[in-house]
Amino acid sequence: MTAQYIFNGFVSGMILALPAVALTLIYGILKFPNFASGAMLTVGAYLALIFNVYLGMPLLWAAIIGSLIFALIAVGIDQAVFRQLRERTAITLLVCSMGVSFVLENIARFIFGNGARSYDLAIARPKHFFGLRINNEQIITAATAVAAMIVVYFILRHTALGRAMRAVADNPSLAAVRGVRRESIVRWTWAITGTLTAVAGVLAGMDRAIDPLLGWNYIVSTFAAAILGGLGNPVGAVIGALTVGVVEETSTLFIPPNYRQVVSFLAIALLLILRPQGLLGAAKIKK
Amino acid sequence: MTAREIVLKTKDVAAGYGGGDIISNISIDVEEGQIFTVIGPNGSGKSTFIKVLAGLLHTRVGGISIKDEQITPLAAPERVAKGLAYVPQEYNVFPNLTINENLRVSTEFLKRDRCATGEQRERVLNMFPEIATRLTLRAGHLSGGQRQMLAFACAMMAAPVVLLLDEPSAGLSPKFVAEIFDRIKAVNRTGLTVVMIEQNVKEALRIADTVMVLVNGATRLSVPASEIGSTHDLHKLFLG
Amino acid sequence: MVSYLVTILSLVAIISILGLALNLQWGLCGMVNFGIAGFFALGAYTAALVDLAGAGTLVATVAAAAVCGIACALVALVSLRLSDEYLAILTLGFGEVVRLVVLNEEWLTHGSLGLPGIPRPFWGLIPEEQYEYWFLGMLGGVILLLFLALEKLLRSPFGRAIRAVREDDVVAATLGKDVVKLRVKVFALGGVIIGIAGAFHSFYMTYIDPSQFSAILTAYVFMAVIAGGRASNSGLLLGSVGLMAVIEGTRFLKDIFNIFDATQLSAIRLILIGLGLILLLIFRPQGCFAEYRLKIKKPEKEPRKASVQTETRTT
Ligand SMILES: Nc1ncnc2c1ncn2[C@@H]1O[C@H](COP(=O)(O)OP(=O)(O)OP(=O)(O)O)[C@@H](O)[C@H]1O
Ligand SMILES: [Mg+2]
Repeated sequence: MTAQYIFNGFVSGMILALPAVALTLIYGILKFPNFASGAMLTVGAYLALIFNVYLGMPLLWAAIIGSLIFALIAVGIDQAVFRQLRERTAITLLVCSMGVSFVLENIARFIFGNGARSYDLAIARPKHFFGLRINNEQIITAATAVAAMIVVYFILRHTALGRAMRAVADNPSLAAVRGVRRESIVRWTWAITGTLTAVAGVLAGMDRAIDPLLGWNYIVSTFAAAILGGLGNPVGAVIGALTVGVVEETSTLFIPPNYRQVVSFLAIALLLILRPQGLLGAAKIKK
Repeated sequence: MTAREIVLKTKDVAAGYGGGDIISNISIDVEEGQIFTVIGPNGSGKSTFIKVLAGLLHTRVGGISIKDEQITPLAAPERVAKGLAYVPQEYNVFPNLTINENLRVSTEFLKRDRCATGEQRERVLNMFPEIATRLTLRAGHLSGGQRQMLAFACAMMAAPVVLLLDEPSAGLSPKFVAEIFDRIKAVNRTGLTVVMIEQNVKEALRIADTVMVLVNGATRLSVPASEIGSTHDLHKLFLG
Repeated sequence: MVSYLVTILSLVAIISILGLALNLQWGLCGMVNFGIAGFFALGAYTAALVDLAGAGTLVATVAAAAVCGIACALVALVSLRLSDEYLAILTLGFGEVVRLVVLNEEWLTHGSLGLPGIPRPFWGLIPEEQYEYWFLGMLGGVILLLFLALEKLLRSPFGRAIRAVREDDVVAATLGKDVVKLRVKVFALGGVIIGIAGAFHSFYMTYIDPSQFSAILTAYVFMAVIAGGRASNSGLLLGSVGLMAVIEGTRFLKDIFNIFDATQLSAIRLILIGLGLILLLIFRPQGCFAEYRLKIKKPEKEPRKASVQTETRTT
């Protein structure tokens, strides 16, 4: 059943696409790979859990409210932490994002403990199309991820905010002399990033158990996806994520499923040796 | 010459990057409708000075005002809103944005009064026909001269009071150099004040009204352009 | 109490050895290593397996050093011509790979059960009740040796080249190929030191399992290096002692907050460590002891943009 694996890989690639795009947006504007992306995903999953399980809301509403709140949290983290380090090197920001990651992950651990949890979601019988077994969660995941990608693409291509985000990514001081206030663009970028990552958290939480290490399970794959797409290129990140999803899933035909992240790591290493600009790197014009 | 209104004024400005001051004690008065040209040897601090005017570099000492309004504390985006438009020496377009997006992003974030109207856009596109025909092309694919034109056009979109140009002719072929100076003169005739840095002294003097010579970060001379050729020996000024 | 202190000091010593490695890789050469926990685990498991196979502790230590050195060299080679962020990502990924392999290859590592009964150096030659003291002394000796070797290295032409490269991009660019080689060598050397730390960890614990190598260890080491002031080895030793004092101090939190369970207490400690790292980076990028050193390192980077400036002087 190779087709089934490829299909499952596509769907898990879609979950991955959200944090990969988020990573890419932040990399574009602030020029550092955000190591807290995994922990942010975890917190996003727990926020929706609060509204869904503890307050009894349907998961859809829980996810919407949770991700909007997390958008604010992401902006707050930026203001409190990363803003203080704006003029420092990428490596400093990176080390700092590791600190942020510990804080977020352990706030979740403090409140919810190490035990695995799951959303209240009616279990539907899987459907069968063309010999593929497709379950309800996969449909929700695909629909949500595609919708999110379209929205982000629209923002980037067709709105003033998107143009400004790309302008700041290209050349922040030129953007400043064209009247773009970098700080406000940075805040919006974190808001979008926070939303995307939290939504990914909910999708991940539907796919597997929610525990404090939920996001950690995606971190290497997320980086693999972003690097595959040439760090800083959102469309590339989506393609990278789908590729990583499919490769990881089909690799389980040959090696134990626990080694998915190992596959991703090898993919990064191979890519960096063979084509360091990323698969789609050429699309991005330097200078 | 009749006494015209002073639109841009600096008083005893000093600035630098981290270490000591790169420029100091610079005072200029730019009259409305003038082309004010800054010349000087490489590394003398010309770009530094114009970055201070544009608000990209912090003014350590001194003050800058536009039409009698103090703008010293304002950051670059606010200065654009006050009517200062700046074309950097290099990296002056967004390479991953299309020409059209480059033009749009130039004014989208300004306050109402400088937000480009359709009319302003038409006017700018008419002025630069070579970019008007390829609006969907990525700016990164443009040639050096075309980039310069696009950057110029982007600055014009904001309907500035003063246009700051850092070496507009740098890296251009001689034919283009004459062309770009003609354009500058043309926009200047519409009443726009221009502060321009140039290495291409001969061409620059052709259109300049006032010339300031900057050597080692200090003003060596500031005179009407007509005096330069006759009474001052440029070589001597540059070297000594 | 004394034996508690000896235990703590032994842990400080091992963290310090890791810190020396990170100081070499990151502090001196700017090559950030986010996979310290993973490389450390690799060293510990290598040493443990070789030792358990009966090869003796010396061979085990050499094997651990060699394996980690080679692993670091390979990772550095992959990101050879790329910016440092890629190396960071690769090392993080490598750490994760080690963790997964250790957890899953049960035939070799016994998975989460861990490896018990690792033989210790000079065991039997030293009276058992004094062994901990001797071991601590041994660790002290290792640190002293490494410390002196590294200081000597820095004054050698090799060390001068490293510093020249770090301080001047132009030099780095003109040297080209040599710089690449130099960076790989430095990173590998760091790996060797991490391997030694791993071996001593195995000998000290006599029992290792994957939970001893969580990512938080990487955070500890970074904190020790930052607190001590990047690139200063003597600062580092102070940094790791101070750090351990703080971390151990937080163990007493449980007496104050007895309403929390063990998981919550460990979460609080980890939150504090994360916060500590962030605060150090924001407020003390030069380290806590900078003022006690003769030469204060120049600030990391000049401000680049004026768009965020607010303070100005007007006439
Ligand atoms: N970003 C910077 N950081 C530190 N020093 C700088 C920076 N930019 C310029 N300088 C220094 O400031 C001095 C003046 O540079 P500036 O670019 O203003 O000269 P210029 O007159 O424009 O020269 P050119 O004719 O070559 O363009 C030079 O010594 C240069 O090294
Ligand atoms: Mg210049």
